[in-house]
Amino acid sequence: MNQDEWARYIGHMEQILQLTLDDPRRAELLIQLSRIAEMAAPLMAFPLDDRLEVAGVYQA
Amino acid sequence: MKTGDVSIQTLQQAIRQGEISAREVAEQTLQAIEQHNPALNAWTEITGPRMLKEASAVDAQRQRGEPLPPLAGIPYAVKNLFDVAGHSTLAGARLFSDRPAAQADAFAIGKLRHAGALLSGMLNMDAYAYGFTTENSHYGPTRNPRDLSRVAGGSSGGSAAAVAAGLVHFSLGTDTNGSIRVPASLCGIFGLKPTFGRLSRSGSHPFVASLDHIGPLARRVEDLALVYDQLQGADPADAFQAARLPEATLPGLSEGSEGLRCGVLGGFFARWCDEDARAAVATVAAALEAQEEVVMPEAELARSAAFIMTAAEGGNHYLPALRQRPEVFEPNSRERLLAGAMMPGAWYVQAQRFRRHFQQQVLPLFDRFDVLIAPATPCSAITIGQQTLTIQGESLPAKASMGMLTQPISFLGLPVCTVPLATRSGLPIGLQLIARPFNEEAVLRAAWALEQRGITMPQINMAGA
Repeated sequence: MNQDEWARYIGHMEQILQLTLDDPRRAELLIQLSRIAEMAAPLMAFPLDDRLEVAGVYQA
Repeated sequence: MKTGDVSIQTLQQAIRQGEISAREVAEQTLQAIEQHNPALNAWTEITGPRMLKEASAVDAQRQRGEPLPPLAGIPYAVKNLFDVAGHSTLAGARLFSDRPAAQADAFAIGKLRHAGALLSGMLNMDAYAYGFTTENSHYGPTRNPRDLSRVAGGSSGGSAAAVAAGLVHFSLGTDTNGSIRVPASLCGIFGLKPTFGRLSRSGSHPFVASLDHIGPLARRVEDLALVYDQLQGADPADAFQAARLPEATLPGLSEGSEGLRCGVLGGFFARWCDEDARAAVATVAAALEAQEEVVMPEAELARSAAFIMTAAEGGNHYLPALRQRPEVFEPNSRERLLAGAMMPGAWYVQAQRFRRHFQQQVLPLFDRFDVLIAPATPCSAITIGQQTLTIQGESLPAKASMGMLTQPISFLGLPVCTVPLATRSGLPIGLQLIARPFNEEAVLRAAWALEQRGITMPQINMAGA
């Protein structure tokens, strides 16, 4: 996604999560989210085995 | 007696024989903290009355002729995210400055209290434990005792500075992505990040439940092992604790590196560090007869996955407060946390599944090696306020990059002991000694061997006491 698309994503999430932001905070949020997106891209592209489960530790 | 320069067992012996009382140790410690903390900014609160009370109880035990517990009369301090009865748990954050006092001590502090240790106070950290430099915008930066113009590392920066300055024998810190190992590296002391789930975390303020560990920092490997042994024990209140019986490490320390198969981590770990770090690895590799270099596959992706899990869990944790009181959040963290709270869920689940994949790739390495060696930080301590560091000709954000070599290891939950080495500049740099899960003894034995041979960096003592 490009910066405009991320800016729209932030706008939607602002509504969904009931946040009140101003423009300087949205601009900083865009920087932070873009940084995470950059790290997520190769991780999401990595092929994981179909049966691989999460590494959670929940025990009932 | 110069209490700061002797080991825990030596000080204990002196207390047992009546050469010095626990009360005198406590008074000396409080006086030294009073004198040197203004320059360091390591303590955010000093628990003088409690420390003196604990010391008097030790002296009374001795006077009654009772045997003294293993840490009787030993001064320590804790990162300010551990609950201490009667005090607010700050987690480095202005957000919690008006929080009600904790009703009870954290599980780990309870263990240390029963072992007779004397709590001197609570220590500075990065807000919420989200950072690697302890440049706290509300409580101020903690300064590195090796060079006061430099950062102490983080997020357990106060825990490392207090010990490195020689003001307490040991401290407690926490490590989610490197927060014990990074400050131990930059301040030149020993730190132990035990196996994920080994020590109870209950009564500590959580940051990322899937990655948080607690552990000790100390000036000597023997002290580190002794304190770690006292911290072990089952706690039904911690759902993440592993079902393992305590395994004492102190008795096996003197076996040193005898019989340990050691290797060096190459690839990602050799690439993202400077010449000082590489020289330190070469020194330790030669001493531990580590001839083979091995590659941890996809370590860079592991770092990314740890980063994403941290952002998502940390962000979710603080979302209600980010909605209600955004003005009290530190500017360093607020939008970072919020970005984590609003990232797509698929990224987080992929990171959790990748964690299992990475574990399956890496654990077989320990069929061939008992201890793997890697730098703890890409370089030595940066100056306070420095925004970037240059590694391999690439300019990286300083605050996030100090933990890039520790993140893939804690992502796996492996036990790590960091050992300090001197660099050409005179500043320390730490190396990670890494073992298979629950083999803390191997990393402590290797660290002890390096210390005994004079390969690790000597400790300093600001108090001169």
